[in-house]
Amino acid sequence: MILHRRALLASAGLGAVLTTLGGLTWTLLRQPADGTELTLNDVLYDPDQPVLGNPAGDVTVVEFFDYQCPFCKRGHADLMAEVEADGNLRLVMKDWPIFGGASVLASQLVLGAVEEGAYAAAQAALMATPARLSEDEVRDTLTAAGQDPAGMLAAYRQDRDRWDGLMDHNSQQAAALGLQGTPAFIIGQNLLPGALDRDRLRTAIAAARGSA
Amino acid sequence: MMIRILLAALTAWTMATGAARAEPGPPLDPTEAFVLTITPALAGDLQVSWDVQPGYYLYRSKIAAMAPDGTSLPLTLPDGEIYDDPWLGRDEIYRTPVTITIPDPQGLTVLHWQGCQQDGICYAPQQAVLDADGTIRPQEAVEDDPFASWQAEGGAEQSSGSSADDASIPPQSGLTIAEDRGLVADLEGRGGILLVLAGFFGFGLLLSLTPCVLPMVPIVAGMLTRQGQGLTAGRGLALTGAYVIAMATAFGLLGIVAAWSGANLQAVLQSPAAIGVIAAIFVMLALSMFGLFELQMPAIWQARLSRGTGATGSLGGAAVLGFGSALIVGPCVTAPLAGALIYIAQTGDVALGAAALFALGLGQGVPLLAVGVFGPQILPRRGAWMERVKMAFGIVFLAMAIWLAGRILPGPIILLLWSVLLTGCGVALGALDRLSPSAPRTMRVAAGTGLLLVFAGLIQGIGAALGADDPTRPLAPLAGRTTQALAEPVPFQTVTSRTALETALDGTQPALIYVTADWCVTCRSIERGPMSDHEVAAALSDLALIKVDVSDFNAEAQAVMKTLAASGPPTMIFVDAAGAEAQGSRLIGDVDTADLLTSIAQVAP
Repeated sequence: MILHRRALLASAGLGAVLTTLGGLTWTLLRQPADGTELTLNDVLYDPDQPVLGNPAGDVTVVEFFDYQCPFCKRGHADLMAEVEADGNLRLVMKDWPIFGGASVLASQLVLGAVEEGAYAAAQAALMATPARLSEDEVRDTLTAAGQDPAGMLAAYRQDRDRWDGLMDHNSQQAAALGLQGTPAFIIGQNLLPGALDRDRLRTAIAAARGSA
Repeated sequence: MMIRILLAALTAWTMATGAARAEPGPPLDPTEAFVLTITPALAGDLQVSWDVQPGYYLYRSKIAAMAPDGTSLPLTLPDGEIYDDPWLGRDEIYRTPVTITIPDPQGLTVLHWQGCQQDGICYAPQQAVLDADGTIRPQEAVEDDPFASWQAEGGAEQSSGSSADDASIPPQSGLTIAEDRGLVADLEGRGGILLVLAGFFGFGLLLSLTPCVLPMVPIVAGMLTRQGQGLTAGRGLALTGAYVIAMATAFGLLGIVAAWSGANLQAVLQSPAAIGVIAAIFVMLALSMFGLFELQMPAIWQARLSRGTGATGSLGGAAVLGFGSALIVGPCVTAPLAGALIYIAQTGDVALGAAALFALGLGQGVPLLAVGVFGPQILPRRGAWMERVKMAFGIVFLAMAIWLAGRILPGPIILLLWSVLLTGCGVALGALDRLSPSAPRTMRVAAGTGLLLVFAGLIQGIGAALGADDPTRPLAPLAGRTTQALAEPVPFQTVTSRTALETALDGTQPALIYVTADWCVTCRSIERGPMSDHEVAAALSDLALIKVDVSDFNAEAQAVMKTLAASGPPTMIFVDAAGAEAQGSRLIGDVDTADLLTSIAQVAP
């Protein structure tokens, strides 16, 4: 009887370990499969996508974000500081507006700033506000940062096919990658859903560098 | 009293864990973070609940219900937590389960919601389409192709606005309704509030079989004898009736307190720590039932109460006596009562809590009513059988503890616990005892039942060893392997280009176009799962089956996907013989057998 019970316990333990291992393997298999074979180049090197940081950097950091997503915005200063400090990171901020009208407008205006060379400044201004924005707050924030929202909107409309196409790709990629929301990072070949603090960001970059 | 201690302990626990909050784990699937439950309510209303998991929140402003034509339905949303934070901004959110009512929907309702994992991820907008009776329709019924609408958005001269809200909704896998809804919610879902009340009445009746009710018999008997010669059966019934109703009211008040604290502490009650504590309490209660220790109010208080108020003899006096008696009996029935209270607390519904506990009190009072009418001599003799009832309660509590622990412990461990409990019960029933030839029939039945329980326990144990995690299907790992070996592969014609696809669609019969790739994990699980189902395989035999293989994600593959307006594998497109896609039949992402059959039926000849 005692032996029987011990055997049961041991086998249950083994079962638990195997289940966990199975889950881990599945996760590991799934992520590179989706991330690398399906769209890695499309995701990292979309020709329409403005690039920040060092365009020739050895590691690309991709973030799917929304201008009203609190955790995207809270981590943004850390992200930019790390890009600055590292000096060898290629940063791709993928607009994936999931919070409705004001988010779509924010993405449209900031993309419209590319032509004037004001993409980085406009994005930085909007990322530094609290998460919840009305359309007026989007325009006011940009105006306060010395930008011209009306001009940006005109520029966006000028190049509407490119920018709508870009956001279209982004949301298709998000769907294909199985992303559930923002923020979601791709660093090297690793998909990391959810917010990253600076330590985890560094670790992920180091891991990408190690495997590159 | 019990519940108060419990709540205090829980609060302390949360404060302790709150102080040491670590970074959030990997985000749950949005369907698990906000488990959606639809319950039909009175007058055709639909009660919609999101079980918001700890560490997640829903935006109050993002909850909406729409008629299919896009008009918003009026909703009354409970006040949320006002959150003001430099990053979130000022917003109203729900961190705890939230319930709304859709007033008597006519036809389809589209339900929208959106939320975040605290410090983690904000999910894309979620939605579900509900039938008037609350059934959740497969997701694709409303959004044929989410990207088509985005494209249309881009073409129109529109910079922003509320209609842009729908622009970027990604395809979502179907919603799963929680299976694990708790006893009360389950009863409520199945048969409405009446069934809950009946359940609690029955529970009270069971409780009246425990020795706890016996202290009340002398009180009732004393009250009746003081009536002297004037006591008729009717008067006796009226007096005991008043007594029982007052007692039930006292329990009802307890229900209100429990439900009220539950509404505020629901999130706490859902946390793994709290579930652990509650499971431990159930184990403790079980041990008390097994006689390891007694939970009872000091005898001197009991005596004083029966002396002090018993003399009046009026209906009012009887009521006071009944109310006070609930306090006497309270501690003795604390163990089972705490179980009932915890369930009530989980629903957070004050009216339901009061009514349910009132019903429990009434059930418990039924034997007393009998005493009132017929006198104390009709009560069953107390004896060993009462101890057995207590044992049975103890076993039920252990089962509840395991059921609760199932939410926080890995599946195989739970199966192991079931195994131990079942085997233990079986042995206690005498499964392994040697029966003498003269053993009475009852002993043989008990031993037989015991053997069955031991057998069930062994199967759970084997399931645990196999790593199964569903106690209702302990041998699923074995069964899964067999079906896989037996299932005949469904014969697909594989194409990789637009021309090949057009050739394959010869226009003579309806077709399934299945976009897949060898690196698509979900596709494997669909093929092994629902697509291997015999019913599905039979239904598919009427269709031309075309597999669009996009494993090489080259320009041609992307062009095919663009033609099909498919965002990626797995996507299933059902077209009729004329090559037209059936409205709302498209399946994106993970699917189940029912989805497949529904979509096949839309194009099948």
